[in-house]
Amino acid sequence: MHRMLRLFLPLTIVAASLVTAMVAAPPDSGIHAPLADATELLQNTAVKAALLAVWMFTAVALTLLSGREIRYSSVEMRASALHCFALGLVAVTSFALTAVVFSYLIPFHIGIPLLFALGVFAILTKIYGIVAVFHAVGTLVAGSRTREQLAHRTWLRGDLAMVVVGVLILGALRMIPIAGPIIWGLASVFGIGTALATRFGRREPWFLAWRPRLS
Amino acid sequence: MTDPTIGSACERYFEDPEANAAHLQTCAECRGLNAALAVKTEVEPKPIDVNSLPLAAWEGSSHRPWGLILGGAAIVVAIALALLDATGTSPVHVAQSSLASMESFRALLNSATAWLRTTSIGWQIVFGAAFLVVNGLLIVLLRRAPRGIDA
Repeated sequence: MHRMLRLFLPLTIVAASLVTAMVAAPPDSGIHAPLADATELLQNTAVKAALLAVWMFTAVALTLLSGREIRYSSVEMRASALHCFALGLVAVTSFALTAVVFSYLIPFHIGIPLLFALGVFAILTKIYGIVAVFHAVGTLVAGSRTREQLAHRTWLRGDLAMVVVGVLILGALRMIPIAGPIIWGLASVFGIGTALATRFGRREPWFLAWRPRLS
Repeated sequence: MTDPTIGSACERYFEDPEANAAHLQTCAECRGLNAALAVKTEVEPKPIDVNSLPLAAWEGSSHRPWGLILGGAAIVVAIALALLDATGTSPVHVAQSSLASMESFRALLNSATAWLRTTSIGWQIVFGAAFLVVNGLLIVLLRRAPRGIDA
């Protein structure tokens, strides 16, 4: 019984993570690519490449606007990866359940604005989070380890360079059939968790702390 | 409660040392204390070797290698345009494809809502409890302060 539980629990966590990752980044028609013919496979790759170009422009623009926040989120992701992933899983589940509740409230007229606000918040969280993941992946792969290395580099240094490297690496991984959408989904979970853990890189608490007045 | 060995002149000196600097000429005890304090403030910290410290995340972060950025963007755009041209896919199809995944999510949401409306009161209570537990867990996780430093 104990052995079964030890086997069952990690499998459940992995399955739940994969399902949540699919909810965080719903796969497009590319998930059926292995069963489709070559033309459809190429067409799916073309769509993914075009979306990657959009991600590239979004990432560069967001990093130019708020590079410090993106960097902080990236540092947080590398400092406490497990917390960010757990928070991402819980947040995506919370978004999905809250969306069902808000959708339930549509006949009472309050559901539509709430659902719209939730959708906008979720999309913004995902966009910011994915850009933070790009930065983290770029820094892990191509970041400088020492000060001398940093001083000798002319191109591979700075937030923008790390983001561009991250986009290229994750974009290339996304092209892999079956595994690509899963990797992208897991990256989305990481990103959503990081965005929420750092409050979009602003390092401010989400809730006010209540302390009794000392007299 | 005051120290009986310290006179009022000493107290005045400690309250405002600069205004009562002449007191040091007459009081050996205060002169000794002043000298000891002066010796303590002259202790210099050990020199820090900056190169031995780990690289901070902000070091070199403001550098903008436009060659790499524009080159990377140009490569991605060129690959995307070449593939779109080779397969005869229009940019409208790309937008439709990205919206299709949203449509599937919307259909899933609608079916979940329809199930919630028609299911038994027991399942509705279970759903409500799951909603509260997940959001409670989210609040607990959000209360943890970020760990990352040196941003």
